Amino acid sequence: MPKFLCLQRKLPSPDSANSAKPSPAQMADMYAQFNAWRERHAASLVDLGGKLGSGKVVSAESADGPFVEVKELVGGYMIVEAEDLEAAATIAGACPGLVRPGSGVEVIEIHVPGA
Amino acid sequence: MSSVSPTFFRREYARLVAGLSRRFGVEVLELAEDAASTALLRAVETWPRSGEPRNPSAWLWTVAHNALTGELRTRGNRARLLASQAGTEPSLEPSPRVRLGSEIDDDQLRMLFVCCDPALAIEAQLALALKTLCGLSVAEIAQRTFSGEAAVYKRLARARKQLNAQGRERIFEAGLESLRRRRPAVQATLYLLFTEGHLSTHPELAIRRELCSEAIRLGVMLARHEVGDPASSALVALMFLHRARLSARTGEGGGLLLLSEQDRSAWNPDDIAEGMCWLAASASGDALTRYHLEAGIAAEHAMAPSFEATDWERIATLYEQLEVVSRSPLHRLNRALALAQWRGAEAGLELVRDRAPPTWLEGSVLWSATLADLCRRAGEANEAARWRAAALASAPSEAVRELLLRRLVK
Repeated sequence: MPKFLCLQRKLPSPDSANSAKPSPAQMADMYAQFNAWRERHAASLVDLGGKLGSGKVVSAESADGPFVEVKELVGGYMIVEAEDLEAAATIAGACPGLVRPGSGVEVIEIHVPGA
Repeated sequence: MSSVSPTFFRREYARLVAGLSRRFGVEVLELAEDAASTALLRAVETWPRSGEPRNPSAWLWTVAHNALTGELRTRGNRARLLASQAGTEPSLEPSPRVRLGSEIDDDQLRMLFVCCDPALAIEAQLALALKTLCGLSVAEIAQRTFSGEAAVYKRLARARKQLNAQGRERIFEAGLESLRRRRPAVQATLYLLFTEGHLSTHPELAIRRELCSEAIRLGVMLARHEVGDPASSALVALMFLHRARLSARTGEGGGLLLLSEQDRSAWNPDDIAEGMCWLAASASGDALTRYHLEAGIAAEHAMAPSFEATDWERIATLYEQLEVVSRSPLHRLNRALALAQWRGAEAGLELVRDRAPPTWLEGSVLWSATLADLCRRAGEANEAARWRAAALASAPSEAVRELLLRRLVK
């Protein structure tokens, strides 16, 4: 079954800057929803991944910087196994908290030679 | 499966805010609240991936503690505040000192005493307690207290500022004597918190129940603490006994039900038992407080086999004593109702007419509905019709209007 790389994309949003932190009750809901989502798709979730931290670019020649850091664009990643792109996008899109103002997900098929 | 209960996040929030405020001072209350939120959010993001830590509370405490010290460091307050921390610089590993359960309870109790500062308006005390000890957001508080979000926000900001004002008592360091002095204010705020849930016209029963339960939780904490007194136990008793009847107060369509209409089998026996235990515990010392008397009245209702078989004489006597302890025309009105059950409507009417009510009561639906009922039962048909019309005209909601139409038969 094909695998898909899911990238959390940071999107420009007018609300995201001044949005308050969720309340404890809302966080309890988020936690329960995330756990429920994870259990429902346990078979498809190859790697729940995580947030991206700081990184370093290693290249053959000294290219002209500065580069746009990937983590400025991408918040985190995970890897999902699914029949096709549509199915993978459905699973990723249902992940609580991933698709909201200021955040979206990009789902990309990973081509493995011979697979 | 997650071991985390639905109230876990709110309880932890309260523990974190109280613990951090105690260690770093009420001056940083708002930062402590932010740090607690940060830690909970981190848990929400990482626990589903890494699994729940063996000791979730300790994990959260470490993260919140680090978030707060980090924030203080960036704010340049480091020297002053860390000095009071005996120079121990916290880091993620090893974790900040593990706290004992009794210590955590004491933190929260003191936080409650901080919130119930008599210098603050009672609405501000309530908002602050709901925010810090019940873990409700500004929006959630606004929804529960029928206020606007901006008003709650302003109320909280002003309260925090007042807490930091010069000369305010330092409750976190205060001795038992200071705590005892503030105890009546704490009891009054808990009582108000409870009535917000109990008497609220909020359409959602779950929300009303939640406010009642929060008041009970904090009340039990107070009554069990060494600063608790018999009045605290009586307050807890009265809250349990009232909560026992909460679900039975509304009918199937959501309308209000009178005591005489309520299905007594729907009263919660656990709450009644718990309330009776606390009432027994409150029967020491020589002070007879309004909480004792109100709990006594609630106990009479809870233990009565039916509306008719209620000991109305005893209830009328308790209301009479209540009038002495805490003068309120409402107690007189309730006493009149009990008297009407015990010795007839005429006796009730006589008591009500004996003294002119204050304007706020005279214009209220409570007053006109009671008079309409008593007059009808005493055979004063014209008076009854007049009060009935007045009651229907001043009904604040459709639910109350419906109840009046049912109750005040022509």
